[in-house]
This record gives sequence, structure tokens and C-alpha cells, in this order.
Amino acid sequence: MKALVIVGHGSHLNADSSLPVYEHAERIRASGEYDEVAECFWKEEPSMRHVLDTVEAGEVYVVPAFISEGYFTQQVIPRELGLEGEVTHRPDGKTVYYAGPLGTFELMADVILERAADLTAGHDLSGGRRALVLLGHGTDRNQNSSGVIYLNAGRIRERGVYDLVEVGFLDQEPEIVDVVENIPAGHVVVIPVFVAEGWHTKETIPEDLELTGEVTRRPDKTIYYGAPVGTHPAMADLIAARARELALVRG
Amino acid sequence: MSGADRPVAAAAREAFAEWVAASREGRRFGQLLVRRAEDGYELRHLADAGREDLRPLAGPAAAREIARTTEGGEHRPLKTSPNLRRGWTLRVEDERELAAALNYLYPAALVHWHLERAGRLPVTHYRETAGRQSGIYEIVRNLSDEGVQAAARAHCEDEVCLKRPLWGVDAGTPLKMEPGEGEIPCPEPCSLFISFARQITLFEREGRDASGLTASERRDLAALVEAAAAGELPPAREGEFSLPGNRRRLRYRALTLVPRLREPLAD
Repeated sequence: MKALVIVGHGSHLNADSSLPVYEHAERIRASGEYDEVAECFWKEEPSMRHVLDTVEAGEVYVVPAFISEGYFTQQVIPRELGLEGEVTHRPDGKTVYYAGPLGTFELMADVILERAADLTAGHDLSGGRRALVLLGHGTDRNQNSSGVIYLNAGRIRERGVYDLVEVGFLDQEPEIVDVVENIPAGHVVVIPVFVAEGWHTKETIPEDLELTGEVTRRPDKTIYYGAPVGTHPAMADLIAARARELALVRG
Repeated sequence: MSGADRPVAAAAREAFAEWVAASREGRRFGQLLVRRAEDGYELRHLADAGREDLRPLAGPAAAREIARTTEGGEHRPLKTSPNLRRGWTLRVEDERELAAALNYLYPAALVHWHLERAGRLPVTHYRETAGRQSGIYEIVRNLSDEGVQAAARAHCEDEVCLKRPLWGVDAGTPLKMEPGEGEIPCPEPCSLFISFARQITLFEREGRDASGLTASERRDLAALVEAAAAGELPPAREGEFSLPGNRRRLRYRALTLVPRLREPLAD
């Protein structure tokens, strides 16, 4: 028997944080690919400390619902789950395979483009150049946080779907407000590269960008802004693909 | 597969189903009433035991939705808080669905319940859990023994959490609190407790003024008097320990501040 365990950050304050993890788990459960699909969280229940005891399967694939490599994927998750690396043999006979974060995976660019396509569906994007802006949190403490945004921007740029592909951040340069302000395009699609809705995606970003809704028309450009990439149903495919790739480790 | 190798989750699921089936009127588990039904199992809120006008739901996914928010739509970061919503009845087809539903309503409780009955539930005490923390939670290792005791009473007693703590400050220092008589054991301080412990650690760092109060105690008292005058408590979510109106913060103040306020003044 094999099980998939999805690790989310979760929140002590907001139900929005864990919701996409539950939803992606439900989608993968419905696919029948795994005998069991379990969710666990850093700040909600079940905790990482206890989730593996709730799983019956002997072969367990753990996929963190995190965008970039860093503190959580490298330190907190392995510590709390008791992992020794990519493969862990537990005393109870379970073998646990641990995947890296989602953002660096090839399919991430597809999910971002799907999110952007859903957002602009039904709108006329002719007349003026079309730009895609990937919005990351960014932090000066961890280069991987912005690195994964640049990586995906590069991959999407190569596909030639948009005339321009740029990046903008909340906590580091280039700042999202300046990027959206100065980008020479008539249609600007802004996609938050976050795993879940939260204070930033719902409050601070729309405020900072002075948005009036999903579509904001200004004299010089139209801005499209929607839910973060992590809530898109296609993220479930990405999680499943990540686990499938991990299964190759078994040989 | 031999008995010894049997996954504990499978053994737990079977033991729980047997336990439920052995009782005609059903079993209490947290705030749940779990009963064997003709075609599977039925779950409902204990307080809805005799009601007929309940919304019929089915399957583990519905259990997840019941567990996520309170009656008033508030997020439930701790599923054993005694604020499970009422008004529903949930049907699950078999033992596996029952276990899946329970893992949403009371995550990992089933396996902990089983391991405790079998005398095999490993317990992790506060000092070990605290010693593992990093980042903004690293400071919780500095919380005093008295601080842990007061935090546990404020955070974990049955009024605010139905789990029965098995852990102590350390292996030789049990908690001095009423653990409750619930079915669900608590083998290790949870993430919400660690977050609360962080707040209490910050309180312990504060100095006291001439009247013996800390700055945060003065701020809380001012906010609470103002709020009471206005006729309502300042709102705070369950996990929002930084706000004066937070229930667990208030419980901590009741334990640690009120006795000092009631002390007669020395001449």
C-alpha cells in the first residue's frame, strides 16, 4: 500500500491557509492513485509529529505544499516528521520518501499559465502589449524565495505566450508597485506565487496596487489580479507529479 | 502480516469500531456521539443526541467541513476546543470511512486513544518539545517551570481544550492542572500551545513598575476596562494571543494577575 502526505503551513488565525491543501488532497484522493492521502500542518492538526501514525501504508510519499526551498522545507519539516533525507526507513517499518518544494518543478510554469488564462478568460486582451507579472513575497534572508520566482519567469518567457514577463516582490527589489506602474504594456496580468490566500493576497497587495477588483482599468493599462497560484486546481496535478517523480528514487 | 507488524492506524481503526459496536447507545468521543448504524456508523454532536431535525451529511469530506469552522464561521486551529458546531448528523459507510471522518474531526486522536489503551503511547514533555523549536519559537525554551504550569492551565483545561494532557514540564514534573476526563489523550504540547508559550515567555521578560504590574498587564487592564465600559470584549481570534481579549490570555491573567490585584496593600 502507498500513501501520499501533503504538508501545509496552516495557520492559527485563518482558515484560508489550509484550505488549498485539503482541496488538492481531495482531488488526488479521487484519482485513486494512492491507497491513502493525508494532510498535515505546521500550525494546524494533524501535526507533522503525528500524521505518519495515522497512515496505514508502508510506502509514504511526502510532498510539501511550499513554493521555495528554505527554512520550512529544509529544517522544520524534516525535523518534525523525523526524516533523515530523501528516504527514511522508520522503526515501524514505513519507508518515507521526501520531495522538494513545488516551485522549482517544471510543471509550476504550466500552473501559473493556467491561472493566468483562467483570470483573463472572457476578456479582450487585444490592443496593447500583454505582460505577465509574477509576484513573490521575497526576503533578503533567503535567496531561494526570489530565485524560484525568477526561475519560473524565465521558463514562461521562453514559451513566448506573453510579450513581457516580469517579477515583482513585497519585501525586496524590484517592488511590485513599481513594476506594475512602469511596465510598458496595455494588459498586465499579476499572479501571486503564493500557496494560499492570506493577508497579503487579500489585503495588502490589492491596496498597494490600488485595485478595484479582479480587473482594474486605468487610463494607460488594464490590470488583472486574482487568487494565488497555489489555490488553482492544477496544483493537485503538480503535487501528484512531484510524488511520482519521487517514486523513481525507489528504482 | 504478523500482529506485531500491523500498522498502528489499522489496529486503532478496528479497536475503535469494536468499542463503538459494543455499546447500544453509542460512545462519547470528545464532543461527538458515535453510534453503530444499520449500514455503517452515525456521528453527531453529543448535545444533539435526542434531536431529529438534524441536517443529514455523509462521508469523511463532510466531516472536514464540520471541523474547519465554528458555528459562527470562526477558524478552528485546535480541533479539540469545545466549539464543535451542532445541527448535523453524519453517516459513514464503514470502519475506514469512520476513521477518516474522525481524523478530520479530531486529527490523530483515534490512534492516540488506541495507543494509550494499549499502554504504548509515547509522551513528549514540554522541555523536549521546547528544545526542538527554532526561529521565532526558539525562545520558548526559556519559559520558567511556573510559566509552563500557568500556561498549561490557561491553555489546556477542559473549558478550552478537551484533550487530556499526559505530558508534564519534564518527565519528573507533572502538570498541576485538572486534566479532565475526556477520551482523547494529548501526548505532546501542540503547535497552538507553543505559540501561547511564546507569548508567556515574552510576558516573563517584562519588568514590573512600583505597583508590581508589567507594561502588558497595564495595557490589558486598560483595554479591558474600556471594553467593559463599552459593553463588549475586544474581539480576538482563538490563536490571537497578542490581543487582550483572547480567551487563553485572559485565563492566564486570571491565574497570574488577579491574585496579585486582590492582595491587600502593604502599609
